[in-house]
Amino acid sequence: MIRAALFQSARCASRSVIRTQLPASRAIAPCLSVPSTCYTPTSRYPGIRCYSAPAGLSKTEVEGRIMDMLKNFDKVKDASKLSNTSHFSNDLGLDSLDTVEVVMAIEEEFSIEIPDKEADGILSSESLD
Amino acid sequence: MSMTLTSGETAFQARSLFRSLLRQSSQFAAYNFREYAKRRTKDAFRENHDKRLGEREVQELIQRGLKELQMMKVRTLGTRRMVEGWQWE
Repeated sequence: MIRAALFQSARCASRSVIRTQLPASRAIAPCLSVPSTCYTPTSRYPGIRCYSAPAGLSKTEVEGRIMDMLKNFDKVKDASKLSNTSHFSNDLGLDSLDTVEVVMAIEEEFSIEIPDKEADGILSSESLD
Repeated sequence: MSMTLTSGETAFQARSLFRSLLRQSSQFAAYNFREYAKRRTKDAFRENHDKRLGEREVQELIQRGLKELQMMKVRTLGTRRMVEGWQWE
């Protein structure tokens, strides 16, 4: 926000400076207009650049990232049972503490925070939707 | 503390405590502190996970965990200030 405000004020300032300068430089000395025309393209900013993509994550990407994460989780006993519908404690042999750890890892992976009540309801890969 | 066998409310309480301890652990700015706190939390919960404990013992352990959480909150604040170059009053 600060950067955007800075850019805007810089833009306004450069515009007003040029407006006031242009007639003066034309009237008095044409050679003075050369630096001012050189200056105008650099002062024109393309607007505020957005670094974040506008679209959210697609479902397949989310699934892929969660599957990779679960594959690398060292307490998952047999990775062959790993699927979109596998239950953490029944299929993957995780206990309640591991389940909490998995949910925490998912929070970290996607930089989100899942509230306590909802995090407790996540017991399988299916319920992650 | 055999959370799956204890009553639902206590189990939820314990899981919630575990979660907030882990969350607070990740607030440590220094890598060593952060990893130690996480490891310590996991080990402490693992240690009592399989034991068959009475309701009172479980409550005592939860109280201990809450105390640790309070302590960790103070500690994370302190280290963050020190790393950012704050001066103590």
